[in-house]
Amino acid sequence: MEFSKFLNSSSKLNIILIISFSISVNSFIIFPNFNNVFYILFHLTLIYLIFYHYHYYLYVVALIYGILFDILLLNNIGAHLITFLSLLILYILLRKYLIRLSSYQIIFTYFITLIILLLIEHFLANFLHNYKFNMSFFFNLILISLIIFIPTIFLFTKLDK
Amino acid sequence: MAPKFQIKVFQLSKFVKNFTIISVVTLSFLLVFFSKTDYYLISGIKNLSSSVIIPITRFISAPVNVFSNFIDEYNQFRSLKFENKILQEEIIRLKKWQILAIQNSRENKVLKKLLNATDNNLTLIKTASLINRNDTIYSKLINLNAGYEDKIKKNMSAINERGLIGKVIDTTAKNSRVILLTDPNLSISVKSISDEIFSLLTGNGDGKYLVSSFVKENKMPRLGDIVVTSGTAQVFPVDLLVGKVAKVEKNRFFVLPFVDFVNIDYVQIVTSK
Repeated sequence: MEFSKFLNSSSKLNIILIISFSISVNSFIIFPNFNNVFYILFHLTLIYLIFYHYHYYLYVVALIYGILFDILLLNNIGAHLITFLSLLILYILLRKYLIRLSSYQIIFTYFITLIILLLIEHFLANFLHNYKFNMSFFFNLILISLIIFIPTIFLFTKLDK
Repeated sequence: MAPKFQIKVFQLSKFVKNFTIISVVTLSFLLVFFSKTDYYLISGIKNLSSSVIIPITRFISAPVNVFSNFIDEYNQFRSLKFENKILQEEIIRLKKWQILAIQNSRENKVLKKLLNATDNNLTLIKTASLINRNDTIYSKLINLNAGYEDKIKKNMSAINERGLIGKVIDTTAKNSRVILLTDPNLSISVKSISDEIFSLLTGNGDGKYLVSSFVKENKMPRLGDIVVTSGTAQVFPVDLLVGKVAKVEKNRFFVLPFVDFVNIDYVQIVTSK
């Protein structure tokens, strides 16, 4: 607990990013949904970092994780890298509108962003890397997102105090 | 009087910030572009991810792995009694088969001598064990604990006791990556044993079936036909077991692979003689 005092919330969120990335790229045969849960958690953490802790270092973070996700999950660079960087650029363009939103609107935007991000990744994986759009897998991801969304928000707000 | 220290805060200038964004976006564009052409840089990044990133991710995810293994062992322990009964019955059945197999083996040896035939056309390069797998989200890839130090090269075939598993796509000094048959980006040229119908198979994306992407002269194999590698594309050795025709449609057919991709522990890397 003492150790956590030395870390600011941005660092804690970055640790969550590393852990969720590591778990999502190692398949567990008995619990395949484990990977999916941490895959969603990674996306949620990245969006949260961009929305609430925006900094220029996030471009490098998005670049590194985008490349690694693409190589480890798709064996080609493209889908994740494009999606993560597009999210960052889109955030800068829409920042002045996002600031005006109420907390409920922000949460709704947060969730919609997550779904759009996953959808774009699926489309790009299909378009660039020939991985067919798997409807059941996508719905599975949405279902997991619905389940873990509120607890994750709760956890992040606790971390952010 | 206590001295006053002034801390000078250095802020990134707007130019540096914009330069960072532009360079990251340009680099991303170049990486996406070169990833399709298999450029040296991309190959280097892939090797780096295999040799450095995968061990780190394995270390971080180790507690989950331990938990997963514990649950697996607990489930196995629970079903021990039931499995024991089944195994006892199977031992009796197998003993009968063993007698028959010994007779057939003797007969086979005699016939082979008569035909002057060799045992197989494969050279075993290395038997490697699986270190981790990335086959839940999108692609179907596994990583092995042997690399080019063990003479494993790109495009070599990976098999196990049941048949063809996939193809080596990347090698580092001590690791190699294998793309599984069930990945939609791997094509294999095959033929059916009974009718010798040549076709190309790719992964269906569901991780279970292989689907034909091309069938020579549009002749469809029969349901239940066994499919083996044809060796025509010079990638896989000839006559490696692939699977069984499970479904036939008007213009395509589906094959159920013999290999149980969920339970892969050891893989043999082979090449044709």
